[in-house]
Amino acid sequence: MISVEGLHKRFPSGLEVLRGIDLTIGDGEVVSLIGRSGSGKTTLLRCINFLEEYDSGEIRLDGTPLWYRTATGGDRTRLPESAIRGLRQQMGIVFQQFNLFPHMTALENVCLGPSFAHKRPEAEVKDLAQRLLERVGLGGKMRSYPYQLSGGEQQRVAIARALAMRPKVLLLDEITSALDPELVGEVLEVIRSLVLERMMMVIVTHELRFAREISHRIAYLSRGQITEIGPPGELLDNPQDPTLKEFLRRMP
Amino acid sequence: MLRLLLLGACYTLGLAVAGITCGTALGLILTPLGFLRLRPLRALYHVYVFFTRGTPLLVLALLIFYGLPVLNFSQGPYVAGTIVLTIYSSAFFAEVFRGGALAIQRTHLESGRSLGLPPWAFLRKIIAPLALRYALPPYVNVCVMMVKASSILSIISVWELTLAAREIIERTLLVFTVLGIAAGLYFIMCFGVDRLGRRAERYLMQRGFVGERA
Repeated sequence: MISVEGLHKRFPSGLEVLRGIDLTIGDGEVVSLIGRSGSGKTTLLRCINFLEEYDSGEIRLDGTPLWYRTATGGDRTRLPESAIRGLRQQMGIVFQQFNLFPHMTALENVCLGPSFAHKRPEAEVKDLAQRLLERVGLGGKMRSYPYQLSGGEQQRVAIARALAMRPKVLLLDEITSALDPELVGEVLEVIRSLVLERMMMVIVTHELRFAREISHRIAYLSRGQITEIGPPGELLDNPQDPTLKEFLRRMP
Repeated sequence: MLRLLLLGACYTLGLAVAGITCGTALGLILTPLGFLRLRPLRALYHVYVFFTRGTPLLVLALLIFYGLPVLNFSQGPYVAGTIVLTIYSSAFFAEVFRGGALAIQRTHLESGRSLGLPPWAFLRKIIAPLALRYALPPYVNVCVMMVKASSILSIISVWELTLAAREIIERTLLVFTVLGIAAGLYFIMCFGVDRLGRRAERYLMQRGFVGERA
């Protein structure tokens, strides 16, 4: 379970991008974050695995506070780097631009985390990576370099790479936004299969139809706050927040 | 005559290879200093680069040639020459590698961070291969420069192609013939270095660097 409490973040430019986010995601739950660009949804996702620092608030994973330690006096310090690494290993993130390492084959990309972060034996890692690549439908492309793969294939490798860490939660940051329309389906198919396995996921997306299909709840962000949250049916078909109504009207 | 010039070219190549090898090693050690969070060490890096790069090669050569005996380290002109090339090239190499590291896309760094890789694996598996790839063209550039820069060492009595040419000219007075041949030999050596660089680039292309910018 992940819980976010009172999260505030201000960019160095002074823009307050997150203005008090409260959100709890249960085990096996899928929560989609939607909202206009600039509403803070991607920043929220990046704060969860600490690719962005935040100014105040607390994020917990299964009850354990993440990233910062608060002294009794209220002073907040970053956890040591080694602790941060250990916590990051429990989360997987998939990016909009795939971000595969260009100098490694699909198989090497997937093996990297378990080999070096978990220090598992090579044979075991390879076996795991092969199974994961087969699972995302890339059994025949393990030796391919990223430049030899289509966008959809690269994104599926990226998902396998994240899964190889056996994460407690998967964070997906607009994973289909950079794909040609005909390649979106194959990536979403992989995500569907993860929902069936009760993988906890936080998904930033613009694909409302997909969000409706797989999410247990959808959260609508507006100007750094979650102004409405609920099951897809309620939120999308019967929105209360006026800006959400406007947002949905403009979506295809 | 030609044989003497060819032998000189071999010495030039030997000096350049020694200088480039040691300079690369020193550069690889220096570059990480330029990224340290500790400001004094970072400053030290920049001071080193600033002074080494800012000193004319000729001055550096004379300084080391006359300086080493003062420090009771007198091993002859070839050792001095190699040290000169090493120090001079290390500053350039360090900056070339630093540039390569700066060219790494932030997104690749974030991928590595999100996997929770330990620092050494991160450096070895992600930062070093990408940085070295981006650094390759300017690296070859500096190597070519070093082949030619070795000619300065003739001033400190290092016998190599340029000194060989000067000796022959003193005996034969065939100024343009001899210098022409020497220039041709320098060109061939630089061309060879350039081809090696291209070959390395092609090799890396097959290893996944197609379409990588930089």
